[in-house]
Amino acid sequence: MAIKLSIKKWSAWLDLSQSLSGVILAVFLWTHLVLVSSILLGGDAMNWVARTMELSFLSSDGHGYPWVVTCIAVGIAALALVHVIVALQKLPMSLRQQRALQQQMQVINHSDTRLWRWQAITGVVILLLLPVHLWLIGSAPETIGPQGSAERIWNQGVWMVYLPLLLTVELHAAIGIYRVALKWGAARDLNSRSRLRKIKTIVSIAFVTVGIASLLAFLPHAS
Amino acid sequence: MSQGRQLTFNIFRYDPQEPNDKPKMVRYHLTETPGMTVFIALNKLREEQDTSLQFDFVCRAGICGSCAMVINGFPTLACRTLTAKYPNGEITLMPLPGFELIGDLSVNTGKFMRELAERLKLWLHPKANDISIHRLEEPMAPEEAARLYELERCVECGVCVSACATKQMRETFVGAVGMMKIARFELDSRDARTAEDFYHVIGNQDGVFGCMTLLGCQDNCPKDLPHMQQIAYLRRKMAMTLV
Repeated sequence: MAIKLSIKKWSAWLDLSQSLSGVILAVFLWTHLVLVSSILLGGDAMNWVARTMELSFLSSDGHGYPWVVTCIAVGIAALALVHVIVALQKLPMSLRQQRALQQQMQVINHSDTRLWRWQAITGVVILLLLPVHLWLIGSAPETIGPQGSAERIWNQGVWMVYLPLLLTVELHAAIGIYRVALKWGAARDLNSRSRLRKIKTIVSIAFVTVGIASLLAFLPHAS
Repeated sequence: MSQGRQLTFNIFRYDPQEPNDKPKMVRYHLTETPGMTVFIALNKLREEQDTSLQFDFVCRAGICGSCAMVINGFPTLACRTLTAKYPNGEITLMPLPGFELIGDLSVNTGKFMRELAERLKLWLHPKANDISIHRLEEPMAPEEAARLYELERCVECGVCVSACATKQMRETFVGAVGMMKIARFELDSRDARTAEDFYHVIGNQDGVFGCMTLLGCQDNCPKDLPHMQQIAYLRRKMAMTLV
């Protein structure tokens, strides 16, 4: 079977890679939050998850390899970079475009356009906050655990990054997946679209709740 | 029930031909009559209160697509909008954004549609063996004819273009009407153009890959055309040309 790829069709590649990188990032995000939320089951549970993610079961002393986490952080940074470079082309960059958008939204009442504007705004906030998170984790992977993370989040004040990051990223990801589904035709009719939209809202609320609960659950471990 | 109610119209007024005219909103009052549409109300206002009021209409039955305007924040056809729809009797009318303003509520959608048709070559390109007018045309399968007819229902009112924030930000974007018409010829078995040919026309940021799926077109189209599904279909079709 010979598959010949047309490299020169840049627009198609860009659109595909925006959708694809977005979906992978969203799946990672939700998996990541579920793993972190192990703190809700107590320090031991989170410890076990953190060590397992460092592949402790492969090392003889059971300590694992914290650099695995650094590799994941680098990989996510690369994916996010691809996503940003492509997505930035869709954002209104010039003043003229911003005014056109503003004027249109003033005259025309359309909720999915407002939803997109939130996605764009949260995207820019994530662009600012995500590098901080990736740097903190990637440069000190061995500190991940009930005590280490609690120290970082509450004693060093990193919750000021994590809380806004949590809120924006959970909005952005759910809206994004909703849009990708509609974009490529997953919703056959308007009923399934409104169902998808409801699911999107529920997913956002559920993950923000779990995220905030997890952040609070670190509090007792901060000494 | 709605008879005799007082309606208040806030209407955008501006005549670009008048040297010193400035855009403004003007209030009008009108007594509602049974079955009144915004189109009927506008005609009454022009007849009885202000003969200079400019707006377009031809068919008054939702077929010509001339009377599209923004009514209380939703772009739609004035002739298909009952005034009874608005419980508080307040109706704000704006011209469709994104088109050249002729005056007041009248915009030049025709100029845009013609340029679009020329740019996207929105006419049937017959197959090489099909150019003789003496040859009998092959019958079309009824299912195919029905599919084409569904897309042919577009009246070029311009609502999808105005409702699309992407189009407002990117002037050269073809909008839902352009993609709908491309899809119509893509589905037509008589058309000689291949997916590859269509990629050259809409396989870019001004075409299907520039669409951000805001779905203003889908949510406002007065003819309820399936823009969401159609654009997704084209996107998949164009992406499939990659392999």
